[in-house]
Amino acid sequence: MLVLAVGALLTIPVIVFLAIGLRHDPHQIDSPLIGKPAPPFALADLEGNVVRLEDLRGTPVLLNFWATYCVPCVAEHKTFMTGERVLGERLRLLGVIYHDETSLIRRFLGQRGEWGRTLVDPGSQVAIAYGVYGVPETYLIDAEGIVIDKITWPLATPEHLFAWLGQHGLAR
Amino acid sequence: MISYLGQGLVLLALVVCAVGAPVGFVAGARRSPEGLRLARGLALAFAALMVLANLAMEWALLTHDFSVKYVALVGSTATPTHITIVSLWSSLEGSILFWGLVLGLYTAGVAILQRRGHEDYLAYTLGTILSVGVFFTYLIAGPADPFGLLDPAPADGPGPNPLLQNHALMIVHPPMLYLGYVGMTVPFAMAVAALLRGQLGPTWLRPLRNWLLVPTAFLTMGVMLGGWWSYEVLGWGGYWAWDPVENASFLPWLTAIAAVHSAIVLQRRGTLKAWTVILVMITFLLTILGTFLTRSGVVNSVHSFTQSPIGPVFLAFLGVTMIAVVVLLAMRVDTLTTEPARETLVAREGAFLLNNLLFVAFMLTVLVGTLFPIAAEAVRGTKVSVGEPWFNRMSVPISFGLLLLIGIGPALPWGRSDGAALRRALLWPLPAALAGLGLTWLLGGRAGPVLLTGALAGYALWVTVDHGLRPTRTRMKKGEGPAQAFGTSFRRAPRLIGGYLTHFGVIVTFVAIAVSSSFQTSGEGVLSLGSGSLAVGGYELTLDDVGVVEEPHRTVRQAEVAVARGGRALGTLAPSLNHYDTQREPIGTPAVRTSLTHDLYLTLMNVRGDGTVGLRAIVTPAVLWIWIGVFIMTAGTGLCLLSPRPARVPAVSRAAALDGAEAAS
Amino acid sequence: MKRLILACLLLICGGAFAQQDSEVGTNALIVVGEPAGTPLSGAALEELTEEVAGRMRCPVCQGLSVADSPSDAAVAMKAEVRALLAAGYTPAQTVRYFETSYGEFIRLAPKAEGFNLVVWIAPVAMLLIGAAMIAWRLRGPRTAAVAEAPGPASVDEDPDLAVYRERVRQELAAAPPAQGTDA
Repeated sequence: MLVLAVGALLTIPVIVFLAIGLRHDPHQIDSPLIGKPAPPFALADLEGNVVRLEDLRGTPVLLNFWATYCVPCVAEHKTFMTGERVLGERLRLLGVIYHDETSLIRRFLGQRGEWGRTLVDPGSQVAIAYGVYGVPETYLIDAEGIVIDKITWPLATPEHLFAWLGQHGLAR
Repeated sequence: MISYLGQGLVLLALVVCAVGAPVGFVAGARRSPEGLRLARGLALAFAALMVLANLAMEWALLTHDFSVKYVALVGSTATPTHITIVSLWSSLEGSILFWGLVLGLYTAGVAILQRRGHEDYLAYTLGTILSVGVFFTYLIAGPADPFGLLDPAPADGPGPNPLLQNHALMIVHPPMLYLGYVGMTVPFAMAVAALLRGQLGPTWLRPLRNWLLVPTAFLTMGVMLGGWWSYEVLGWGGYWAWDPVENASFLPWLTAIAAVHSAIVLQRRGTLKAWTVILVMITFLLTILGTFLTRSGVVNSVHSFTQSPIGPVFLAFLGVTMIAVVVLLAMRVDTLTTEPARETLVAREGAFLLNNLLFVAFMLTVLVGTLFPIAAEAVRGTKVSVGEPWFNRMSVPISFGLLLLIGIGPALPWGRSDGAALRRALLWPLPAALAGLGLTWLLGGRAGPVLLTGALAGYALWVTVDHGLRPTRTRMKKGEGPAQAFGTSFRRAPRLIGGYLTHFGVIVTFVAIAVSSSFQTSGEGVLSLGSGSLAVGGYELTLDDVGVVEEPHRTVRQAEVAVARGGRALGTLAPSLNHYDTQREPIGTPAVRTSLTHDLYLTLMNVRGDGTVGLRAIVTPAVLWIWIGVFIMTAGTGLCLLSPRPARVPAVSRAAALDGAEAAS
Repeated sequence: MKRLILACLLLICGGAFAQQDSEVGTNALIVVGEPAGTPLSGAALEELTEEVAGRMRCPVCQGLSVADSPSDAAVAMKAEVRALLAAGYTPAQTVRYFETSYGEFIRLAPKAEGFNLVVWIAPVAMLLIGAAMIAWRLRGPRTAAVAEAPGPASVDEDPDLAVYRERVRQELAAAPPAQGTDA
């Protein structure tokens, strides 16, 4: 019967389509920068010394965007302190402040210690260049300056950090 | 204790529905009065159980019984009482429970109010509604259980979403929306009953049409209140962003309006029966689809929750219902096609057909736009957004088509007529179109769309007022005074007056939307105490005061902004930033100064430690008229529920008398 | 002369500002190349900023455009849009710049190419198909009961009359069409 055929033709694809849709998470966005050269930047740290990304060629770089009001970032702080101690020169750790006040950052680091270099990003231009949605977000850049991964969740423990680096052949 | 009570009530309701559904269907098939009595009883029992379950949840909320899962989720001792009452529908599980309540109330309404005649239809209807009830009670009892017991019970809870605590509209918008949304189950059930019974005649068409009008009126208000709430609370200065949850409420509204118009034609001319039935069924399916979209996390939305277990269940229900509808239509296709195809492209029937086409096309457009991100991801693996720019571009032409039809449709006569009469009918309101165009030009409109709106609105307004008052004028020519003429006309044909009043409301809303989106001005600036001022749209804004107010559940940073216009002080507005203990980012509450001509809309962008504030000001004309216009639409829709006099006539001949009166008016 | 003015600007605005400018320069140069339009300023700049910002989605909000959103991220993005437009980049280049870091997601209306064409064409196609279907149905063969008067079909309700109704219908179908009416 025509009605049955038309009805089936309309119903079944719709249900299948929505079922497929169920398996995707619309909040999970992949970064288009993966596999591309990392956007260059020249940012000043808290003492005013400029750090240029291209000067760091030859060593992998971990770029972490964070802020003091972000609770998971606070947890991540310990991870990076440990990570720096263990990895030493094998990985450059850079933190970029995202929409926060420098005075609060100074107080935070003064209390808990500083890892790597902490860079100030006026106008969030570097955050925009990297496609940052929120904090914490961490980018992994290899020795040739190519972005090899981005994660948008906190590295809550050092083990998480080493596991992630190990995935890309960068640790130990 | 309440946990067990609530869960027990819901499980009992599930059983009642599971028993009542087959009882209803069998009673309908056998045309048995005892079966119908039983089905009615079970329907009322379902309603009572839902009412009790919701009261139990309210009790748990108000007594802050944190051993109940839902209370632990949205309750808080710091929340004000009126917000606590409203938090029943503030989160997923509670809103499904509330859905059950509204469904129960509608079921009781149908069971009680549909007394006279139509026994077998009624039995089928109750059977269908209770089948839907099975699904929802299963949801409440299982995947979306708000009554779960927490042991040990937490000491306090996080309170409802802060966005829902900012405004009084939150109290009205969800119930209104649910009364519309859930109410679509009833005309759906009645259409199913007609198909099962094998007939859809005028005696069952009347209740179907009435039970379609009621949720449509509520849905109209609900959608508008959603936009109004978004405007007053979210702080971005707009009222409609084509967010999936807004679209989810808009889609069934579109097909419901098309169904209402088809029902009019069905009643007066006997055609468009298939359109009416199918549109009513699609409306219900869209309510389920819409709920699925917003509750399953399939699309990115303001309302959406992360993947929850009820997504797949809703999808299964949607699938089953769609299959059932298709099978039913296939089996009963002859019920729908007994009428010869007498529609003609000219004259009013054709206009109604075109109307249906445009509404369905509009609905499909919005649906495609809402669902496309899913398709794009499935096919290309990348995420795309389909947002306001796309929706506006697509919906504006269709809307103009509808505005044109509101003018042309009623101007055209029923049935075929000669070319000269048609030309006369269509050209007669043309001066009004030119007047509208001229007025728009005078008021400063220069862009094409704005001028087109003016012309079409002028035309439509003329036709609407002319036809709406025609019976009155005829009576006045016969010597009656204007008030009496109107009163008699209204009593004899309230639906005519109601219909044209609704159209009038649509025109007002349309014009208001066009004006508000075309002539908006905005500006941003930094103000500090005693210095700095922002000039927008003729207003001068200066900062009077900045303060902090501590409330138990939030910290409010408020700015008092002095508003002046042309040197004259007009008072102060107080936009604020609310920092809730449970949220990282503050939520801004705008301050709005509404007048008949325009709104002044202020939002705080930030409040710095040194007492400077970043302020954004938007001046939008005619916003108030959008809400007023929709209100008029709803009032008109309500009037259409009234029956023309005379009343107090036995059932069968009453139907004939009414239809006779209809054909005469 | 130009260098002198630039030097004064640098002095006035401070080193950080110059750094900002050059960052827009290098990364934007890498991503979208040289500015293809003319630099803007004043009211024209503000208007175009609003318009271009309105084409992009605020990444941290739900469905709001960068123009409408009060969030920090959107404010920063809007400033970047302003800077790019002021430097002479075209709106298309500006949107492409953001798209490179954020992905296609950032566009509020999908690019009309490839699979995305479906979303642009489907609504129009459906409208046309619907109109064609209706037109086809209206042109189709009329059923036999041509001269049936419009009005209440209360006869439908009575099953006893159905037999007679069917007889009438058959007789009408067999009879020649009435004169003077357009069928």
